[in-house]
Amino acid sequence: MNDNRHDNSFVAEALPTFISEAIEHIEMLEQLLLQLETQPDNSELIDALFRCAHTIKGSAGIFGLDKIVSFTHHVETLLDQLRESRKAMTPELSTLLLQSNDQIRLLIGVAQGTETEDEDALLGREVLVQRLCMAYGGEEPKQSAPHVTNTLRRWQISVRFGVDTYRNGMDPLAILNYVRGMGSISGMSLDAATVPALDAINPEECHLGFDFNLDTEASGENIGSAFSFVRDDCVLRIEEAKPQPENLGSIISSMPNGLRLGEILVGVGAITPSELHSGLRLQAEAANGAGASQPLGEILLEKTKLSPEVLAAALQKQQKQRDGGSKPAGDEGRFIRVQADRLDHVINLLGELVITSAGASMLARQNRDSNLIEANQQITRLVEEIRNGTLQLRMVPIGETFARFRRVVRDTAAELGKDIALEIIGGETELDKSVVERIADPLMHLVRNALDHGLEKAEQRLAAGKAAQGLLKLEACHESGSILIRIRDDGSGINREKVLARAWERGLVEPGVTPSDAEILKLIFKPGFSTAEKITNLSGRGVGMDVVQRNVEALRGSIDIFSTQGKGSSIEIRLPLTLAIIDGFLVSVGASKFIFPLDGVVEVIESHPTEMAQDSRGRCIVELRNQVLPVVSLRSLYALDSAVPARSSVVVIQAGDRRYGVLVDQLHGQHQTVIKPLGKLLRSLRGVSGSSILGSGEVALIFDVHSLSELAEQPASPLLPGSAAGSLPASHLQM
Amino acid sequence: MPNTPVLPAEITIYTIGTLHQEWLKWLAKVPAPRRSAAGQDKPWLLDASAVDEVDAAGVQLLLSLSHSLAKKRRTLRLIHPSHSISSACSALGVGTLLMTDDAAGSAS
Repeated sequence: MNDNRHDNSFVAEALPTFISEAIEHIEMLEQLLLQLETQPDNSELIDALFRCAHTIKGSAGIFGLDKIVSFTHHVETLLDQLRESRKAMTPELSTLLLQSNDQIRLLIGVAQGTETEDEDALLGREVLVQRLCMAYGGEEPKQSAPHVTNTLRRWQISVRFGVDTYRNGMDPLAILNYVRGMGSISGMSLDAATVPALDAINPEECHLGFDFNLDTEASGENIGSAFSFVRDDCVLRIEEAKPQPENLGSIISSMPNGLRLGEILVGVGAITPSELHSGLRLQAEAANGAGASQPLGEILLEKTKLSPEVLAAALQKQQKQRDGGSKPAGDEGRFIRVQADRLDHVINLLGELVITSAGASMLARQNRDSNLIEANQQITRLVEEIRNGTLQLRMVPIGETFARFRRVVRDTAAELGKDIALEIIGGETELDKSVVERIADPLMHLVRNALDHGLEKAEQRLAAGKAAQGLLKLEACHESGSILIRIRDDGSGINREKVLARAWERGLVEPGVTPSDAEILKLIFKPGFSTAEKITNLSGRGVGMDVVQRNVEALRGSIDIFSTQGKGSSIEIRLPLTLAIIDGFLVSVGASKFIFPLDGVVEVIESHPTEMAQDSRGRCIVELRNQVLPVVSLRSLYALDSAVPARSSVVVIQAGDRRYGVLVDQLHGQHQTVIKPLGKLLRSLRGVSGSSILGSGEVALIFDVHSLSELAEQPASPLLPGSAAGSLPASHLQM
Repeated sequence: MPNTPVLPAEITIYTIGTLHQEWLKWLAKVPAPRRSAAGQDKPWLLDASAVDEVDAAGVQLLLSLSHSLAKKRRTLRLIHPSHSISSACSALGVGTLLMTDDAAGSAS
């Protein structure tokens, strides 16, 4: 196909859509192939594979991407054989198909302009094509599939020849005669309506289309080969017929519109043309005699073996045509593609709306106008709903990202000579698309780390008394307003002595000082810990874990590591669900306002700070329902300068599996919080993840409950030069 | 029936260009049927006994001719079909164009 034949502007507009769809299909192909490895007999998977490849080929054809079309054609042919059970899926075929999928991805990249194709790539493709051809073409079908029984099967064939068929030197008559040689044809029906009248026809153009049944021992693929010379420009459908009338029904519904009842019935082979003729004659005679014509369907029911179900299906088809081609409820309506930046724009506006509506509510309260307050409450509620709905639009399941690692695990494990199974749990857990995109690389690094350093080879595992196959688990779940991603392996775990030795050597820890076990593990996140030279590609091996941690923290997330030597390691990443707007719980200490993510707030209890014995960093303990609850005072922690009120409240926070209390002066209740990033000055502030503008124009700082708890846990040594956690001029941040 | 036009020996992709032009001229001469005429349902007959070679393009042209005749409320029927044309028409599912000899006899 020639690009010049296309409207260039159409191509320019539609190409990005094609590319993004093609990439989705490629991803799906890969997932399906990998799934197929575990369940090679699942015909639905093979069907889905075929459809994916077919769609890529078809849409690439529209854009004149010849290379993709011709390459995918080979893949499709092989998949078709798998689909027809002419070939069984083998690990070799699976590898070949995965490599072919990579090739398609490369070709799409070339079309997109992000990849270039050099001679090596060209050579690689030729080799792949040869291997594909060998896979599907090298053997006689009968040898390759001896289990296929040579019984007579009925095939329903529908073919519409292309207009250039004659010009290409092809004769449909010869082709049909060849097909006739394969078995016996019945119910041959020519779609006469497509042939123009003599004054309108160009006799050298082919307008023929046929529907017929073929009873043969040959396979669908063999029948298809009869049409191989015209396949490129004809519409061909070969389906195995099942005797059930309901099957005929589905064929009827897929037939072209504009057919008459008799044509439909002859077309599916329910009646013969001569039966139709005699039926029509009877109808005409009856009409002439009695004046009232009997419906053709009734006549045919009486006179032929036509089953009522088939007749009903044919009549239904006609009814649908008459209804004006209203679109069937198909898959098309379920998804709408939206450009991500448009969505971002809406979300930004929504943020402004939330702030403005909070301002309006506040004014209404100040004016004590009950009607206005009520109206504003209504607005706030609606805004909240819109907010949730809009943010939901950006939510995608993390499973897609996880599934990508199947291939990584498969290939890397093979490369390293290890036997590793990947288990994915909670793939349906949703989080913001931008978070998903930015967490993929750090995850990739952690997975590779686990494969490379964590999990041992089979013989080492057996020697250690473990199962030969290593297990890598990727888990995701929601946990108090954030998402928890856990990468767990049952490998050798982290050798603390080695870590400590290296930390001493690199001066990360004073030599001779031995921190606690948990502290030692955290050392691997320190910049400069990694032994390997800097490699810019994060997903490459040997890059420091500090990069991973930085990436996670850039998403306002946190990372924890747990490891038992000999048993395995587990890395937990906690990420906020969204980067835009959250439900917050607004509190104040003196003049400073703070927000806790509402999902992290468990309850609030009253307290009398004067009665509590606090240490130098404002930490104390209260008893809550017979349990000890550590409490930290924000006033002391951040050295806020204000008078201690007589009464205050303790907000009980859940951070992971820990609970702690935060002592605050005043509670202001639930607050829709638009997250704004912190400025450079405050970015190093511990325990705080962002800021928000209140309706009054004041700035409130948003706590990260996880890092706040870590901050509170730390020993009473100055964290930053100066006092406590650094003085916090929140009240002076007014905008 | 002496007036029955006779189809040529070859109706294939190689001859249909010329045939198309000839048949258009024929068609122009076919009288529009009178409303109450008895000939309204009378088939328009073509003698197909001489046809020796026919392909799908030829059958398509015959079909096209039959459409044009149908607009003039005429039904195209091929009488005394040769073996090659009758097998081609049957193979392509347009056997209705053919008229068996006995039926042709009664019609003419």
